[in-house]
Amino acid sequence: MKGNEVILEGKNVGTERVHNMDFTVLKGQIVTIIGPSGSGKSTLINLLNRINDPLEGEILFHGKNVKEYPVPELRKKIGMVFQTANLFTGTVEENLKYGPEIWGEWTPELGKELLRFVQLPEEFLSKDVEDISGGQQQRVSFARTLANDPEVLLMDEATSALDNRTEELVEEELLQLVKEKKITILMITHDLEQARRLGDQTFFIADGRILEQGKTEDLFESPATEELKFFLEVE
Amino acid sequence: MPEISNLSMLTVIIFVLIPVSLSYLYSLGIAKTTIWSSLRGIIQLILIGYVLTFLFEITDWIAVTLAVLVMISAASWQAGQRGKGIKNAFLVTFTVLAIIEGLVLILWIGFNIIPFESQQVIPMSGMVIGNSMVASALALERLKNDFSVHKGKVLAALSLGATPPKAANIIIRNTIKAAMIPSIDGLKTIGLVQLPGMMTGLIIGGASPIEAIRYQIVISLSIFASVSLTSMFVSAIAYRSFFNKDMQLVEIKEND
Repeated sequence: MKGNEVILEGKNVGTERVHNMDFTVLKGQIVTIIGPSGSGKSTLINLLNRINDPLEGEILFHGKNVKEYPVPELRKKIGMVFQTANLFTGTVEENLKYGPEIWGEWTPELGKELLRFVQLPEEFLSKDVEDISGGQQQRVSFARTLANDPEVLLMDEATSALDNRTEELVEEELLQLVKEKKITILMITHDLEQARRLGDQTFFIADGRILEQGKTEDLFESPATEELKFFLEVE
Repeated sequence: MPEISNLSMLTVIIFVLIPVSLSYLYSLGIAKTTIWSSLRGIIQLILIGYVLTFLFEITDWIAVTLAVLVMISAASWQAGQRGKGIKNAFLVTFTVLAIIEGLVLILWIGFNIIPFESQQVIPMSGMVIGNSMVASALALERLKNDFSVHKGKVLAALSLGATPPKAANIIIRNTIKAAMIPSIDGLKTIGLVQLPGMMTGLIIGGASPIEAIRYQIVISLSIFASVSLTSMFVSAIAYRSFFNKDMQLVEIKEND
Protein backbone atom coordinates (compact mmCIF):
# COMPACT_ATOMS: atom_id res chain seq x y z
CA MET A 1 0.00 0.00 0.00
CA LYS A 2 1.79 3.13 -1.16
CA GLY A 3 0.19 6.55 -0.79
CA ASN A 4 0.47 9.18 -3.50
CA GLU A 5 1.13 12.11 -1.20
CA VAL A 6 4.21 14.10 -2.24
CA ILE A 7 6.42 14.58 0.80
CA LEU A 8 9.54 16.12 -0.74
CA GLU A 9 9.96 18.05 -3.90
CA GLY A 10 12.88 19.80 -5.54
CA LYS A 11 12.45 22.56 -8.08
CA ASN A 12 15.42 23.59 -10.18
CA VAL A 13 17.77 22.99 -7.22
CA GLY A 14 21.37 24.04 -7.72
CA THR A 15 24.56 24.52 -5.73
CA GLU A 16 28.17 24.88 -6.85
CA ARG A 17 28.22 21.12 -7.39
CA VAL A 18 24.72 20.13 -8.48
CA HIS A 19 22.52 21.73 -11.12
CA ASN A 20 18.89 22.01 -12.18
CA MET A 21 17.66 19.21 -9.99
CA ASP A 22 13.93 18.53 -10.17
CA PHE A 23 12.62 15.62 -8.17
CA THR A 24 9.56 14.28 -6.38
CA VAL A 25 9.48 11.88 -3.46
CA LEU A 26 6.26 10.19 -2.41
CA LYS A 27 5.44 9.49 1.21
CA GLY A 28 6.21 5.98 2.39
CA GLN A 29 8.57 5.14 -0.44
CA ILE A 30 12.17 4.10 -0.47
CA VAL A 31 14.18 6.13 -2.94
CA THR A 32 17.59 4.71 -3.73
CA ILE A 33 20.14 7.15 -5.07
CA ILE A 34 22.87 5.80 -7.29
CA GLY A 35 25.64 7.31 -9.36
CA PRO A 36 29.41 7.57 -9.67
CA SER A 37 31.53 8.88 -6.76
CA GLY A 38 31.61 12.66 -6.57
CA SER A 39 28.51 13.03 -8.72
CA GLY A 40 26.62 15.07 -6.10
CA LYS A 41 24.54 12.43 -4.30
CA SER A 42 25.56 13.54 -0.79
CA THR A 43 25.31 17.19 -1.82
CA LEU A 44 21.69 16.57 -2.72
CA ILE A 45 20.60 14.83 0.46
CA ASN A 46 22.44 17.36 2.64
CA LEU A 47 20.13 20.00 1.20
CA LEU A 48 17.00 18.21 2.34
CA ASN A 49 17.60 18.66 6.10
CA ARG A 50 19.42 21.96 5.57
CA ILE A 51 22.89 20.80 6.48
CA ASN A 52 23.54 23.03 3.47
CA ASP A 53 21.29 25.28 1.42
CA PRO A 54 20.91 25.43 -2.36
CA LEU A 55 22.13 28.54 -4.16
CA GLU A 56 19.16 28.39 -6.51
CA GLY A 57 15.78 26.72 -6.69
CA GLU A 58 13.76 25.48 -3.75
CA ILE A 59 13.04 22.33 -1.79
CA LEU A 60 9.54 21.72 -0.51
CA PHE A 61 8.63 19.51 2.43
CA HIS A 62 4.88 18.87 2.64
CA GLY A 63 4.50 21.60 0.03
CA LYS A 64 6.29 24.22 2.12
CA ASN A 65 9.81 25.53 1.51
CA VAL A 66 12.21 23.85 3.95
CA LYS A 67 13.47 27.32 4.85
CA GLU A 68 10.12 28.14 6.38
CA TYR A 69 10.43 25.48 9.07
CA PRO A 70 12.36 26.15 12.27
CA VAL A 71 15.70 24.40 11.56
CA PRO A 72 15.75 22.03 14.58
CA GLU A 73 12.17 20.96 13.91
CA LEU A 74 12.90 20.28 10.24
CA ARG A 75 15.92 18.18 11.22
CA LYS A 76 13.86 16.22 13.71
CA LYS A 77 11.36 15.39 10.98
CA ILE A 78 14.02 14.67 8.37
CA GLY A 79 16.57 12.50 10.18
CA MET A 80 19.95 11.48 8.85
CA VAL A 81 22.21 8.47 9.25
CA PHE A 82 25.79 8.82 8.09
CA GLN A 83 28.32 6.40 6.67
CA THR A 84 30.21 6.43 9.96
CA ALA A 85 28.44 6.10 13.30
CA ASN A 86 29.67 9.46 14.67
CA LEU A 87 28.60 8.48 18.17
CA PHE A 88 29.13 10.94 21.00
CA THR A 89 31.48 10.08 23.85
CA GLY A 90 29.54 8.32 26.60
CA THR A 91 27.08 5.47 26.88
CA VAL A 92 24.67 4.06 24.32
CA GLU A 93 21.80 5.51 26.34
CA GLU A 94 23.33 8.98 26.32
CA ASN A 95 23.50 8.76 22.54
CA LEU A 96 19.96 7.50 22.14
CA LYS A 97 18.46 10.22 24.28
CA TYR A 98 20.40 13.07 22.67
CA GLY A 99 17.60 13.92 20.25
CA PRO A 100 14.52 13.10 22.36
CA GLU A 101 15.88 15.15 25.28
CA ILE A 102 15.86 18.24 23.08
CA TRP A 103 12.13 17.72 22.60
CA GLY A 104 11.37 16.46 26.10
CA GLU A 105 10.34 13.11 24.70
CA TRP A 106 12.80 10.78 26.38
CA THR A 107 11.68 7.83 28.46
CA PRO A 108 13.84 4.87 29.49
CA GLU A 109 11.25 2.64 27.84
CA LEU A 110 11.98 4.33 24.50
CA GLY A 111 15.64 3.39 24.87
CA LYS A 112 14.79 -0.27 25.34
CA GLU A 113 12.34 -0.19 22.45
CA LEU A 114 14.93 1.33 20.12
CA LEU A 115 17.53 -1.26 21.03
CA ARG A 116 15.03 -4.04 20.49
CA PHE A 117 14.26 -2.57 17.10
CA VAL A 118 17.90 -2.62 16.00
CA GLN A 119 18.24 -6.05 17.64
CA LEU A 120 20.71 -5.17 20.35
CA PRO A 121 20.28 -6.40 23.95
CA GLU A 122 18.81 -4.00 26.52
CA GLU A 123 21.99 -4.19 28.61
CA PHE A 124 23.67 -2.18 25.88
CA LEU A 125 22.02 0.97 27.23
CA SER A 126 24.68 1.33 29.91
CA LYS A 127 27.60 0.31 27.69
CA ASP A 128 30.26 2.79 26.70
CA VAL A 129 30.14 3.31 22.93
CA GLU A 130 33.87 2.63 22.81
CA ASP A 131 33.25 -0.91 24.05
CA ILE A 132 30.99 -2.10 21.23
CA SER A 133 31.88 -3.23 17.71
CA GLY A 134 31.75 -1.05 14.61
CA GLY A 135 28.60 -2.75 13.33
CA GLN A 136 26.91 -2.32 16.70
CA GLN A 137 27.94 1.34 16.76
CA GLN A 138 26.32 1.85 13.38
CA ARG A 139 23.10 0.26 14.63
CA VAL A 140 23.16 2.54 17.69
CA SER A 141 23.61 5.47 15.35
CA PHE A 142 20.61 4.27 13.34
CA ALA A 143 18.57 3.92 16.54
CA ARG A 144 19.70 7.38 17.68
CA THR A 145 18.21 8.91 14.54
CA LEU A 146 15.02 6.86 14.87
CA ALA A 147 14.69 8.07 18.47
CA ASN A 148 13.54 11.41 17.04
CA ASP A 149 10.65 9.63 15.32
CA PRO A 150 11.42 11.14 11.88
CA GLU A 151 9.04 11.19 8.92
CA VAL A 152 11.91 11.01 6.45
CA LEU A 153 15.16 9.14 6.85
CA LEU A 154 18.21 10.20 4.85
CA MET A 155 20.91 7.55 4.65
CA ASP A 156 24.30 8.41 3.22
CA GLU A 157 25.83 5.01 2.49
CA ALA A 158 24.81 4.14 5.99
CA THR A 159 25.06 0.40 5.46
CA SER A 160 28.26 0.34 3.40
CA ALA A 161 30.55 -0.30 6.35
CA LEU A 162 28.43 -3.16 7.73
CA ASP A 163 29.05 -6.86 7.33
CA ASN A 164 26.51 -8.79 5.24
CA ARG A 165 24.59 -10.14 8.20
CA THR A 166 24.16 -6.72 9.83
CA GLU A 167 23.34 -5.14 6.51
CA GLU A 168 20.51 -7.64 5.99
CA LEU A 169 19.29 -6.87 9.48
CA VAL A 170 19.22 -3.13 8.87
CA GLU A 171 17.46 -3.66 5.54
CA GLU A 172 14.74 -5.68 7.27
CA GLU A 173 14.36 -2.88 9.79
CA LEU A 174 14.07 -0.28 7.03
CA LEU A 175 11.30 -2.22 5.32
CA GLN A 176 9.55 -2.60 8.64
CA LEU A 177 9.75 1.16 9.23
CA VAL A 178 8.20 1.88 5.86
CA LYS A 179 5.47 -0.66 6.45
CA GLU A 180 4.59 0.23 10.03
CA LYS A 181 5.33 3.92 10.30
CA LYS A 182 4.97 5.04 6.67
CA ILE A 183 8.42 6.51 6.96
CA THR A 184 10.01 7.78 3.74
CA ILE A 185 13.60 6.81 3.04
CA LEU A 186 16.18 8.30 0.72
CA MET A 187 19.29 6.20 0.65
CA ILE A 188 22.53 6.67 -1.20
CA THR A 189 24.13 3.36 -1.98
CA HIS A 190 27.01 2.04 -4.04
CA ASP A 191 25.54 -1.41 -3.88
CA LEU A 192 23.38 -1.67 -7.00
CA GLU A 193 21.82 -4.91 -5.85
CA GLN A 194 20.72 -3.18 -2.68
CA ALA A 195 19.41 -0.20 -4.65
CA ARG A 196 17.33 -2.55 -6.75
CA ARG A 197 16.22 -4.75 -3.85
CA LEU A 198 14.99 -1.92 -1.64
CA GLY A 199 14.03 0.90 -3.97
CA ASP A 200 10.53 1.84 -5.02
CA GLN A 201 12.02 4.75 -6.90
CA THR A 202 15.59 5.40 -7.97
CA PHE A 203 17.48 8.57 -8.81
CA PHE A 204 20.51 8.23 -11.04
CA ILE A 205 22.85 11.15 -10.52
CA ALA A 206 25.90 11.91 -12.67
CA ASP A 207 27.94 15.08 -13.02
CA GLY A 208 25.77 16.96 -10.57
CA ARG A 209 22.51 16.26 -12.43
CA ILE A 210 19.66 13.84 -11.91
CA LEU A 211 19.84 12.12 -15.29
CA GLU A 212 17.09 9.62 -14.58
CA GLN A 213 14.42 9.12 -11.96
CA GLY A 214 11.52 6.76 -11.83
CA LYS A 215 10.44 3.31 -10.74
CA THR A 216 13.49 1.35 -9.67
CA GLU A 217 12.60 -1.63 -11.84
CA ASP A 218 12.20 0.56 -14.92
CA LEU A 219 15.57 2.22 -14.45
CA PHE A 220 17.37 -1.07 -14.02
CA GLU A 221 15.46 -2.89 -16.77
CA SER A 222 15.48 -0.21 -19.41
CA PRO A 223 17.87 2.65 -18.72
CA ALA A 224 17.09 5.61 -20.95
CA THR A 225 20.46 7.31 -20.99
CA GLU A 226 23.83 6.09 -22.21
CA GLU A 227 25.30 7.20 -18.87
CA LEU A 228 23.07 4.90 -16.83
CA LYS A 229 23.56 2.00 -19.25
CA PHE A 230 27.32 2.43 -18.92
CA PHE A 231 27.10 2.84 -15.12
CA LEU A 232 25.02 -0.32 -14.70
CA GLU A 233 27.47 -2.25 -16.86
CA VAL A 234 30.67 -1.22 -15.12
CA GLU A 235 29.45 -1.24 -11.53
CA MET B 1 71.41 42.91 45.21
CA PRO B 2 74.82 42.54 43.48
CA GLU B 3 74.92 44.09 40.01
CA ILE B 4 75.88 41.97 36.99
CA SER B 5 78.77 43.66 35.20
CA ASN B 6 78.96 44.12 31.42
CA LEU B 7 81.86 41.68 31.30
CA SER B 8 79.80 38.99 33.04
CA MET B 9 76.99 39.59 30.54
CA LEU B 10 79.47 39.06 27.71
CA THR B 11 80.47 35.71 29.24
CA VAL B 12 76.86 34.48 28.98
CA ILE B 13 76.76 35.51 25.34
CA ILE B 14 79.87 33.35 24.77
CA PHE B 15 77.92 30.52 26.38
CA VAL B 16 75.30 30.87 23.64
CA LEU B 17 78.00 30.63 20.99
CA ILE B 18 78.64 26.99 21.95
CA PRO B 19 75.27 25.62 20.71
CA VAL B 20 75.47 28.01 17.75
CA SER B 21 78.86 26.59 16.68
CA LEU B 22 77.64 23.04 17.25
CA SER B 23 74.51 23.56 15.19
CA TYR B 24 76.70 25.02 12.44
CA LEU B 25 79.01 22.00 12.70
CA TYR B 26 76.14 19.54 12.43
CA SER B 27 74.47 21.62 9.69
CA LEU B 28 71.26 21.87 11.68
CA GLY B 29 70.45 25.02 9.77
CA ILE B 30 69.41 26.89 12.89
CA ALA B 31 72.61 28.83 13.62
CA LYS B 32 71.25 32.00 12.03
CA THR B 33 67.91 31.75 13.84
CA THR B 34 69.62 31.13 17.15
CA ILE B 35 71.86 34.18 16.77
CA TRP B 36 68.95 36.31 15.59
CA SER B 37 66.67 35.13 18.40
CA SER B 38 69.32 35.76 21.03
CA LEU B 39 70.04 39.23 19.68
CA ARG B 40 66.35 40.02 19.43
CA GLY B 41 65.81 38.78 22.97
CA ILE B 42 68.64 40.93 24.32
CA ILE B 43 67.46 44.04 22.48
CA GLN B 44 63.84 43.51 23.55
CA LEU B 45 64.86 43.10 27.18
CA ILE B 46 67.11 46.18 27.16
CA LEU B 47 64.30 48.23 25.65
CA ILE B 48 61.80 46.87 28.16
CA GLY B 49 64.27 47.81 30.91
CA TYR B 50 64.13 51.44 29.80
CA VAL B 51 60.36 51.35 29.26
CA LEU B 52 59.81 49.95 32.75
CA THR B 53 62.16 52.52 34.28
CA PHE B 54 60.09 55.21 32.59
CA LEU B 55 56.77 53.64 33.64
CA PHE B 56 57.87 53.28 37.26
CA GLU B 57 58.64 57.00 37.33
CA ILE B 58 55.26 58.28 36.11
CA THR B 59 51.90 58.26 37.93
CA ASP B 60 50.92 54.70 38.85
CA TRP B 61 47.50 54.54 37.24
CA ILE B 62 48.70 55.99 33.94
CA ALA B 63 51.63 53.59 33.90
CA VAL B 64 49.49 50.57 34.74
CA THR B 65 46.83 51.47 32.17
CA LEU B 66 49.43 52.01 29.44
CA ALA B 67 51.35 48.85 30.24
CA VAL B 68 48.28 46.64 30.58
CA LEU B 69 46.79 47.93 27.31
CA VAL B 70 50.02 47.29 25.41
CA MET B 71 50.39 43.83 26.97
CA ILE B 72 46.81 42.81 26.22
CA SER B 73 47.05 44.10 22.65
CA ALA B 74 50.28 42.21 21.97
CA ALA B 75 48.91 39.06 23.62
CA SER B 76 45.67 39.24 21.66
CA TRP B 77 47.52 39.75 18.41
CA GLN B 78 49.70 36.71 19.13
CA ALA B 79 46.75 34.51 20.15
CA GLY B 80 44.75 35.82 17.19
CA GLN B 81 47.45 34.55 14.86
CA ARG B 82 46.86 31.02 16.14
CA GLY B 83 43.14 31.47 15.68
CA LYS B 84 43.46 32.68 12.07
CA GLY B 85 40.25 32.03 10.21
CA ILE B 86 38.11 32.31 13.33
CA LYS B 87 36.05 35.45 13.05
CA ASN B 88 37.27 38.29 15.29
CA ALA B 89 39.86 36.10 17.02
CA PHE B 90 41.81 39.22 18.03
CA LEU B 91 38.78 41.04 19.36
CA VAL B 92 37.53 37.98 21.26
CA THR B 93 40.88 37.48 22.97
CA PHE B 94 41.28 41.21 23.65
CA THR B 95 37.87 41.44 25.31
CA VAL B 96 38.34 38.28 27.36
CA LEU B 97 41.84 39.27 28.51
CA ALA B 98 40.66 42.77 29.41
CA ILE B 99 37.79 41.41 31.51
CA ILE B 100 40.03 38.91 33.25
CA GLU B 101 42.81 41.41 33.95
CA GLY B 102 40.12 43.72 35.33
CA LEU B 103 38.84 41.01 37.66
CA VAL B 104 42.36 40.16 38.81
CA LEU B 105 43.14 43.81 39.55
CA ILE B 106 39.92 44.23 41.50
CA LEU B 107 40.87 41.18 43.54
CA TRP B 108 44.49 42.21 44.13
CA ILE B 109 43.87 45.87 44.89
CA GLY B 110 40.38 45.61 46.35
CA PHE B 111 41.40 43.05 48.92
CA ASN B 112 44.73 44.75 49.62
CA ILE B 113 46.68 41.74 48.46
CA ILE B 114 49.24 43.94 46.74
CA PRO B 115 49.57 47.71 46.74
CA PHE B 116 48.60 49.66 43.63
CA GLU B 117 52.17 50.41 42.55
CA SER B 118 53.52 50.06 39.04
CA GLN B 119 56.47 48.00 40.28
CA GLN B 120 54.10 45.36 41.62
CA VAL B 121 51.09 45.54 39.35
CA ILE B 122 52.84 45.66 35.96
CA PRO B 123 55.10 42.59 36.25
CA MET B 124 52.39 40.54 37.96
CA SER B 125 49.81 41.55 35.34
CA GLY B 126 52.34 40.56 32.70
CA MET B 127 52.46 37.07 34.13
CA VAL B 128 48.68 36.75 34.24
CA ILE B 129 48.23 38.14 30.71
CA GLY B 130 51.07 36.05 29.28
CA ASN B 131 49.66 32.81 30.64
CA SER B 132 46.13 33.72 29.59
CA MET B 133 47.45 34.46 26.11
CA VAL B 134 48.82 30.93 25.86
CA ALA B 135 45.49 29.53 27.08
CA SER B 136 43.58 31.60 24.55
CA ALA B 137 45.87 30.55 21.69
CA LEU B 138 45.56 26.90 22.74
CA ALA B 139 41.78 27.16 22.96
CA LEU B 140 41.49 28.80 19.52
CA GLU B 141 43.82 26.33 17.88
CA ARG B 142 42.14 23.39 19.54
CA LEU B 143 38.69 24.61 18.51
CA LYS B 144 39.78 24.79 14.87
CA ASN B 145 41.35 21.38 15.04
CA ASP B 146 38.47 19.69 16.86
CA PHE B 147 35.79 21.18 14.63
CA SER B 148 37.66 19.67 11.72
CA VAL B 149 38.45 16.28 13.32
CA HIS B 150 35.02 15.84 14.91
CA LYS B 151 33.03 17.44 12.11
CA GLY B 152 30.99 14.23 11.75
CA LYS B 153 29.85 14.34 15.37
CA VAL B 154 28.87 17.99 15.15
CA LEU B 155 26.91 17.27 11.97
CA ALA B 156 25.25 14.30 13.67
CA ALA B 157 24.24 16.52 16.58
CA LEU B 158 22.87 19.22 14.28
CA SER B 159 21.00 16.57 12.28
CA LEU B 160 19.32 15.44 15.48
CA GLY B 161 17.98 18.94 15.95
CA ALA B 162 20.62 20.33 18.29
CA THR B 163 21.18 24.08 18.27
CA PRO B 164 24.77 25.26 17.67
CA PRO B 165 25.52 25.77 21.40
CA LYS B 166 24.38 22.23 22.17
CA ALA B 167 26.17 20.72 19.18
CA ALA B 168 29.36 22.65 19.98
CA ASN B 169 29.28 21.46 23.55
CA ILE B 170 30.65 18.10 22.39
CA ILE B 171 33.80 19.95 21.35
CA ILE B 172 34.02 22.83 23.80
CA ARG B 173 34.31 20.60 26.85
CA ASN B 174 37.48 19.06 25.41
CA THR B 175 38.83 22.41 24.26
CA ILE B 176 38.58 23.87 27.74
CA LYS B 177 40.13 20.80 29.29
CA ALA B 178 43.03 20.82 26.83
CA ALA B 179 43.70 24.51 27.36
CA MET B 180 43.69 24.08 31.15
CA ILE B 181 45.89 21.00 31.37
CA PRO B 182 49.26 22.83 31.17
CA SER B 183 48.33 25.11 34.07
CA ILE B 184 46.90 22.25 36.14
CA ASP B 185 50.12 20.30 35.60
CA GLY B 186 52.13 23.41 36.37
CA LEU B 187 50.22 23.88 39.61
CA LYS B 188 50.80 20.25 40.61
CA THR B 189 54.57 20.35 40.21
CA ILE B 190 55.10 23.91 41.33
CA GLY B 191 58.27 24.20 43.40
CA LEU B 192 59.13 20.55 42.77
CA VAL B 193 60.42 20.67 39.22
CA GLN B 194 61.57 24.26 39.15
CA LEU B 195 61.19 27.24 41.38
CA PRO B 196 58.74 29.60 39.75
CA GLY B 197 60.29 32.68 38.13
CA MET B 198 58.73 35.20 40.44
CA MET B 199 59.84 33.41 43.57
CA THR B 200 63.32 32.97 42.14
CA GLY B 201 63.47 36.69 41.41
CA LEU B 202 62.36 37.67 44.89
CA ILE B 203 64.81 35.30 46.55
CA ILE B 204 67.70 36.57 44.40
CA GLY B 205 66.55 40.08 45.23
CA GLY B 206 67.02 39.30 48.93
CA ALA B 207 63.47 38.49 50.06
CA SER B 208 62.99 35.66 52.55
CA PRO B 209 61.74 32.41 50.98
CA ILE B 210 58.54 32.58 53.07
CA GLU B 211 57.79 36.10 51.84
CA ALA B 212 58.60 35.02 48.29
CA ILE B 213 56.24 32.06 48.61
CA ARG B 214 53.36 34.29 49.69
CA TYR B 215 53.73 36.27 46.48
CA GLN B 216 54.12 33.11 44.51
CA ILE B 217 50.88 31.69 45.90
CA VAL B 218 49.03 34.86 44.99
CA ILE B 219 50.38 34.87 41.46
CA SER B 220 50.06 31.10 40.88
CA LEU B 221 46.43 31.01 41.95
CA SER B 222 45.65 34.19 40.02
CA ILE B 223 47.24 32.69 36.92
CA PHE B 224 45.37 29.43 37.36
CA ALA B 225 42.02 31.16 37.70
CA SER B 226 42.74 33.49 34.78
CA VAL B 227 43.87 30.69 32.50
CA SER B 228 40.78 28.63 33.30
CA LEU B 229 38.44 31.56 32.76
CA THR B 230 40.23 32.56 29.55
CA SER B 231 39.83 29.13 27.99
CA MET B 232 36.18 28.98 29.05
CA PHE B 233 35.28 32.48 27.84
CA VAL B 234 37.25 32.27 24.60
CA SER B 235 35.74 28.87 23.70
CA ALA B 236 32.26 30.00 24.69
CA ILE B 237 32.49 33.01 22.36
CA ALA B 238 34.66 31.73 19.50
CA TYR B 239 32.69 28.55 18.74
CA ARG B 240 30.00 30.77 17.22
CA SER B 241 32.10 31.49 14.17
CA PHE B 242 31.85 27.83 13.17
CA PHE B 243 28.10 28.17 12.57
CA ASN B 244 25.90 30.47 10.53
CA LYS B 245 22.49 31.83 11.45
CA ASP B 246 20.79 28.85 9.79
CA MET B 247 22.45 26.46 12.25
CA GLN B 248 24.81 25.16 9.59
CA LEU B 249 28.45 24.33 10.04
CA VAL B 250 30.71 26.69 8.11
CA GLU B 251 34.17 25.87 6.80
CA ILE B 252 36.94 27.79 8.49
CA LYS B 253 39.60 28.90 6.03
CA GLU B 254 43.07 29.81 7.30
CA ASN B 255 43.43 32.73 4.92
CA ASP B 256 40.12 34.37 5.77
